[in-house]
Amino acid sequence: MKKFGNITLFSITSLAFIVIYFPIFVITLLSFNDSTKDYTFVGFSFRWYIEIFKDDRLLEAIINTISVAVLSTLIATIIGTLTAIGINSLKKNMRVRMMILNNVPVINPDIVTGISLMLVFSLLPLSFGMGTMLMGHIFFSTPFVVLTVMPKLKELDENLFDAALDLGCNRFQAIYKVIIPSIKTGIIAGALIAFTMSIDDFVISYFTTGNGFQNVSLWIYSRLGRRNFSPAVYAYNTLVIFITITILTVVNRLNNNKSIKIKRRLKEMKV
Amino acid sequence: MSKLNKLALPYFIWMTLLVLIPTILILILSLSNLDIYTLGSFTFNLDAFSIFSRPEVQVAAKNSIRLSLAATAICFLIGYPVAYYLANIKSSNKTFFVSLLIIPVWSNMLLRIIAWEKLFFPKSILNMFGLSFDLIGTDTAILIGMTSMYLPFMVLPIYSVLEKMDKSLIEAAKDLGANNIKTFFKVILPLSLTGVVSGTIMTFLPSMTAFALPERLSGGKTLLIGNIIEDYFMKTANINAGSLISIILMVIIIFLFILIIKFDKEGETLI
Repeated sequence: MKKFGNITLFSITSLAFIVIYFPIFVITLLSFNDSTKDYTFVGFSFRWYIEIFKDDRLLEAIINTISVAVLSTLIATIIGTLTAIGINSLKKNMRVRMMILNNVPVINPDIVTGISLMLVFSLLPLSFGMGTMLMGHIFFSTPFVVLTVMPKLKELDENLFDAALDLGCNRFQAIYKVIIPSIKTGIIAGALIAFTMSIDDFVISYFTTGNGFQNVSLWIYSRLGRRNFSPAVYAYNTLVIFITITILTVVNRLNNNKSIKIKRRLKEMKV
Repeated sequence: MSKLNKLALPYFIWMTLLVLIPTILILILSLSNLDIYTLGSFTFNLDAFSIFSRPEVQVAAKNSIRLSLAATAICFLIGYPVAYYLANIKSSNKTFFVSLLIIPVWSNMLLRIIAWEKLFFPKSILNMFGLSFDLIGTDTAILIGMTSMYLPFMVLPIYSVLEKMDKSLIEAAKDLGANNIKTFFKVILPLSLTGVVSGTIMTFLPSMTAFALPERLSGGKTLLIGNIIEDYFMKTANINAGSLISIILMVIIIFLFILIIKFDKEGETLI
């Protein structure tokens, strides 16, 4: 009975991974296809990988995507971490209220967030472009940083900050030298989510951009079904996935090695 | 730590500015003839409500509710077992498998939608494996696409709740005479309800408001409410009517929001 249950669970999990990964498999296949036709596989080639660097508009879109992602991640991580420290020190009632406000962009569908931002930005004396898109990305990724940092702050001993002050740190040093290092994992997780949200965003970018400023998603959307849609974008996407999986595997390997070492050391200590 | 609460203030102002102002603005827009681009005087009227008699809006509303409910149900039926399986495997690569669920999010969502679109035409790259589908324009195509895009958002919150669950509770239930099925329905499922609520909302809202996905996978036939909003705001300059639909969406979101707050005050299961 138990075995049967396990096999069912394993099959459903495999099916889930197949459904999630199938489009990525197709994109990867098409990125190596030596043809602009996407319904037959003509032959294996790297031509689309070289094409990334020849297609100026695509290259520009890739650079824009990465710049917006890096900048918005940096800013969102700093604002999010400091804000989480601030929210954590509020009284319970205020804290819950702040978290509800914080969670609005997390739950709001992208299209509502996008339209809201478009309306606010059109009231302000701003010209739409990289600046507005960057602000939009900071707006929707900061709440995720706050959400990942908060649980780590709750685990922290409340007296830690006061202890640092007593030992002669000023407030800035107490945050920088005591609090930040103890919530490091939360900050890193938050930054990762912020980056993930930014790099593949389409809807919010669509509503907040202007003046021909395009990221990869907008580049794709503007060329859907047109002749100037270049398969080089498949190659770009495959590279992104490849890099992510490599980093993940290496991190996983390192972590496993670390835990094996710790286990070994524990064994030696017992002996 | 209470000296730090001022750190939350700038974020409070920034969030209020970007959440509250557009909400009020959308509310005014939906109930008046205000022109957002000239911002002159305006009078309140209920003209925007005439959209409810338009067939395309009625059809889109029906489609949205039907398809997003179906997609959420499918994601739950697949996602819960997957989360359960991943939370219970005894492998040092556990976090690696869970991270594998997040990686596809790094890949561009539009590209993944296009990949499905290409597979659903009779003449596709799948022909070389002897397969051929003709699904463009069917509900099946849209549901497969939605499941593929939003399944990770169902699995992750449920996984994080199941992972933290005290395993001795399950043993206790079994000691007290409950069989596997009873243990699941009386202990495991109720305890993981916070994750289920978050997961349901995180799949239901994006699938209900998606606009690129139905546009591509239905060949322009099946419109969802997201397509109508996008059309009114970006193409036909019918902002007042678009605002009214956004307001209705917001009412639904507020309702779901209250549900989340009831289960999980500070939104800890949202990520």
